[in-house]
Amino acid sequence: MSKSSIKKLARTGLVGVITKRLSKVGKASDAPAKDLLDYYPNKLAAALHPKAQQVIIKEIKEFSPDMKSIYFAPNPAKGTDSLAWFSAGQYLSISVDIEGKTFKRPYSIASSPADTLNGFYMLTIKRVGGGIVSQYILDNWKEGMEVTVSAPLGDFSYERLRDANTVIGIAGGSGITPFRSLAKAISEGDEPCSLVLLYGSRTLKDAVFSDEIEEMSKKCGKIKLVNVLSDEKAEGCESGFITAGLIKKYAPEGDYSIFMCGPQAMYNFADKEIEKLGIRRKFVRHELFGEYFHPERNEDYTGNIEDRFNLTVTIAGKTTTIPCDANTTLLRAMEAAGLNPPSDCRSGRCGWCHSQLLSGKVYIPASVDGRRLADKEFGYIHPCCTFPLSDLAIDVPPMPQ
Amino acid sequence: MKEYDVIVVGAGNGGLVAGTTTAQAGYKTLILEKHNLPGGCATSFIRGRFEFEPSLHELCAESTSSELESTKKIFADFDASVELFHEDTLYRAICKDKEMGYDVVMRADIENFLDDIEAAVPGCRASVAAFLNLCRNIDGAQVYMATGKNGMKLNPFVLMNKYGDFMRTASHTTEEVEIALGIPEKARSIMNTYWGYLGVPTDDLSALHFISLLTAYMQVRPTMPYKRSHELSLNLVKAFQGFGGEIRYNSEVTRFLFDEKGKAIGVVANGEEYHAKKIISNIIPNNVINRSDAKKLPKRFRKLANARKFGMTFVTVYLGLDRTREELGIDDYSVFITRDKDPRVQFETRKDCGYYVVNCLNKALPDATPKGTSTLFFTIPFMPGDFPEDLTPRQYKEFKNSIAEKYIKDYEETLGISVRPYIEEISIATPVTFARYLGTPEGAIYGYDTGNWDNVVGRTAMEPMEFNIPNLYFCGGHSTMGDGFPSGYITGDRTGRKVVKDLRKEGK
Repeated sequence: MSKSSIKKLARTGLVGVITKRLSKVGKASDAPAKDLLDYYPNKLAAALHPKAQQVIIKEIKEFSPDMKSIYFAPNPAKGTDSLAWFSAGQYLSISVDIEGKTFKRPYSIASSPADTLNGFYMLTIKRVGGGIVSQYILDNWKEGMEVTVSAPLGDFSYERLRDANTVIGIAGGSGITPFRSLAKAISEGDEPCSLVLLYGSRTLKDAVFSDEIEEMSKKCGKIKLVNVLSDEKAEGCESGFITAGLIKKYAPEGDYSIFMCGPQAMYNFADKEIEKLGIRRKFVRHELFGEYFHPERNEDYTGNIEDRFNLTVTIAGKTTTIPCDANTTLLRAMEAAGLNPPSDCRSGRCGWCHSQLLSGKVYIPASVDGRRLADKEFGYIHPCCTFPLSDLAIDVPPMPQ
Repeated sequence: MKEYDVIVVGAGNGGLVAGTTTAQAGYKTLILEKHNLPGGCATSFIRGRFEFEPSLHELCAESTSSELESTKKIFADFDASVELFHEDTLYRAICKDKEMGYDVVMRADIENFLDDIEAAVPGCRASVAAFLNLCRNIDGAQVYMATGKNGMKLNPFVLMNKYGDFMRTASHTTEEVEIALGIPEKARSIMNTYWGYLGVPTDDLSALHFISLLTAYMQVRPTMPYKRSHELSLNLVKAFQGFGGEIRYNSEVTRFLFDEKGKAIGVVANGEEYHAKKIISNIIPNNVINRSDAKKLPKRFRKLANARKFGMTFVTVYLGLDRTREELGIDDYSVFITRDKDPRVQFETRKDCGYYVVNCLNKALPDATPKGTSTLFFTIPFMPGDFPEDLTPRQYKEFKNSIAEKYIKDYEETLGISVRPYIEEISIATPVTFARYLGTPEGAIYGYDTGNWDNVVGRTAMEPMEFNIPNLYFCGGHSTMGDGFPSGYITGDRTGRKVVKDLRKEGK
């Protein structure tokens, strides 16, 4: 075992390495390299996460003038032959062109994952007071129109290694949509959990999809629906709000996961109720909070909400200066100016609008500050949740073509 | 059309360093990146209250004994040093082999390592020391090669006479050299644990490559930035921009442009043409060929791409746990779990818990996660072809979960601890995820397999002959050095310098 035993090995082997290499390369084909999509993991990645999906409005079902379900089918003429699979709870970011400007909004998919195999996604869209996009969709979208949507996105989905076997769904208003998808996915065998859905509405008439989910629960023992009505009493329904007591009443023994989707007011109420239950943070999940309004209501806000600033935006080397009010996120200001910046979740979480702050001061509400540690250090922001406190300059990635 | 001196395609580790080098030298440089973040694998992502890193949180060659080409020096040269943290143990290796199992903790620093391996396998110290000692000759030879007047052109006589051990390790596998030195089997098994970081079992892995990795780890210790690798990447971007460089995200290069004579002249991104005197590709040659008029590329270049095998990819499982590592009983930064003593068998049983690594960042950086929590990171090797080709999109989620479940269970049983009930966040990446973000064939992380004929020695020796497209340069894991962050940084540094030198030579 002396050191000299290494001397047994030849020093000239390098020649062999090179000869072998020359021979291997010499014998290989000189054809162009195989297409990326000929490799299966790349093909599956493209199917699961297309850069965009081109769809066509196949059908519109009207619940009321203020609420419609839109069915999207693939638009092969524009390059989308089939719709991407998703996990119940995910959303699509849809692009809406209004007067030459592109606006984007995230909407939960209300249809089930298996419905993609039947060739459709269904979204249910409710008119939001002051929401130009929902307004535009409800008033203008017609069957046969072409729309661009994102790949399915978001992580408001059941994860069996993380979550309890039973999900207590707390839904408010149009927050029912991801739960309709989850209920259907459970009934179709695509999710292994049980669902107890506490569905808050003003009256039973307002509880869209209630009948449908009730039907699903009759066929599938893993789904239970409880309508919780605030403004009326009805047989078989709970009345009032979704309280800790109500959750306890319907919860299974042992652990359960709470998934919540609804308006901010519902989160504010439900979060306090859930706190009383003393359950671990890992068992409580919220859907995206959505657009942020009224930063001035936060104690740490230092600006003057009436102020108006100039926002200088550089996208792919082109610089424009646009107005941006103190009460408006940088993202909304850019959209209003027709700059078509990237955005998906609009809640500070997905990172798609990630941009560089070149100069100026901003306010980012802590509850929606989804930035990485190093982003904070090096001056990167998510314009969807960032408000100006001074004139600003930012560098924003272009929408990829 | 926009004109630049240098265009870098891809803001991975190599691309960022190459671009910063040319920008620092005063050349008008543009980096085009397909993603909306820099760094390639050197990035991070957020789930709930956890910030995860997609790759292993460690640099193995922050500096090497030669100090010639080190990550530390590269960052320092840009005045972009990042505060780095170190972990004193290299790894704990648990081998469940029925006849020759072991559970050892190996510490960094050569003397400690030798003490630990001697304790595990009495009598092996001298032979292991002889093996590690070879690194001096290797380092010397590498300095000779990198600083020689003729660049990478080697004088075989000087190499054979002065750097004989280098020549031996360069042309033999790790195991051939270990056996020649008389290292006992069990000691070989323990010291070969890191083979997975290079993706090639030690019976096929160049001894030079492995010794360089192992000794770099020993001397420098596993090293990591505080704010995940995103900190390293943003820091490089800052330096790059400080030197006047321009970086564009969401700008995938879809076409490489050549003139009649086959000289690279520019690229196309987002439908726009960009021209430059020099193009540096941080993306894998296969993707360059796919985006070029292949006829204009040298025949050898196309043949090489077709001759090569893609290297390792991974399934990685990121866990955010709602207990501290102390509460859970996680004692180690890196645990390697194997079923058989032989790396070849470990490699072959990789789909069945034969070889995997579990890291706990909190051991090295206690407050890497919020108070009362911790994180675990599973690295499970996958080779091209391992991914089932009949898997449908519908089956994909359960496919990921079942792999994660199997490995978490094996880890819990091996360590006798429980983590699954404490999972607050989980994210699972597969070759599909890497294919999506990196855009490499098969989701290969480091480009090509460094085993057998395509080892780092052959790559380095043949580079001038194989990569001779006028004005087109390459850097990154697919280049000469193979796997790891440092090889990205170092090849980026070498390429950036070469481009500067060539531009100056051409009087530009």
